[in-house]
Amino acid sequence: MASLPAGAAWMSFDGRELRAGEDGEGFSFMIDSRCLEGPPVAGAEAWVFAARDEEAALPYDQPEVQGARQAALAWWYGMLGDALVCHTTLALDESRCAGAITVVHGETAARPADDPFGRLFAPTCVSCDLFGLVAPPPGPVIERYAGAPWPGGRFDRA
Amino acid sequence: MRPGERFPDLELPDHTGRQRLLSELAGGDPLVLLFSRGWWCPKEQRHLRALTALQDEMEVAYARMVVVSVDPPEVQSAFRAGLGARFVFLSDSERAWLPRLDLLEESDTTHAPYRPTAFTLFPDLSVHSRYDGFWYWGRPSADDIRRDLRDISRRVREDFER
Repeated sequence: MASLPAGAAWMSFDGRELRAGEDGEGFSFMIDSRCLEGPPVAGAEAWVFAARDEEAALPYDQPEVQGARQAALAWWYGMLGDALVCHTTLALDESRCAGAITVVHGETAARPADDPFGRLFAPTCVSCDLFGLVAPPPGPVIERYAGAPWPGGRFDRA
Repeated sequence: MRPGERFPDLELPDHTGRQRLLSELAGGDPLVLLFSRGWWCPKEQRHLRALTALQDEMEVAYARMVVVSVDPPEVQSAFRAGLGARFVFLSDSERAWLPRLDLLEESDTTHAPYRPTAFTLFPDLSVHSRYDGFWYWGRPSADDIRRDLRDISRRVREDFER
């Protein structure tokens, strides 16, 4: 298992349920730790776009994964509006992306099928009370900060 | 605001209406901060198109860009989409910061907009350079910005030269 960089937290997904921490059953990956730091939003829904296993993960540097991040910045966060609770990619290590999670709450015209990461991995919708509010990244940066799952991390720890 | 001074930590709604702090948007990276008249001005359209092209470098180079104008968020959102921008616009449609920053363009009595002014900022929001763009050629070119971001990065990234 990869070491945990600053700005990352472990999570696992067994196909039905998300669990915080590294001891959960199923597929384990790193997420943007900020998503678990604030008070959890009750009644939220997580749209999980996860690779079925490590073999199906994609390099962050692959154009499709870069394109998904660019699309998120260009229009996806705006489309979600106030319904967005938080968003994170799923990192296996410093170079491999195993998908993304979009957490929403309340009314939105957006659908999982619209999610740019839905081009890469199939969605599973999960009700959960794990995630807190995190403002969407301002852009235009799509690179990761010292191996933290995008959009988390920063170089200074101010 | 002059080089060396700390820029105020603006709090304004972004192009989606979400309240944002400038320090949050900088996120520990060098920041290009542009005060723009608004979507209607051909000079703003031209300049922002040129700087939007620079986002393809900034997205891989750990640098941020923020545009402030008096356009309301929904207008900024449409303008941003038309430019193909992937960075944040902040709306000061209430003119909350405009007088405090002393950046009113007094010659435009129709819109009472910001006077085009650009700043390159260190991650702590201190000013590296200022560009007064009332006259178009006073605005920063992509090369001006590259030069500033290189200098800021050299000074804040401990491992810049290794």
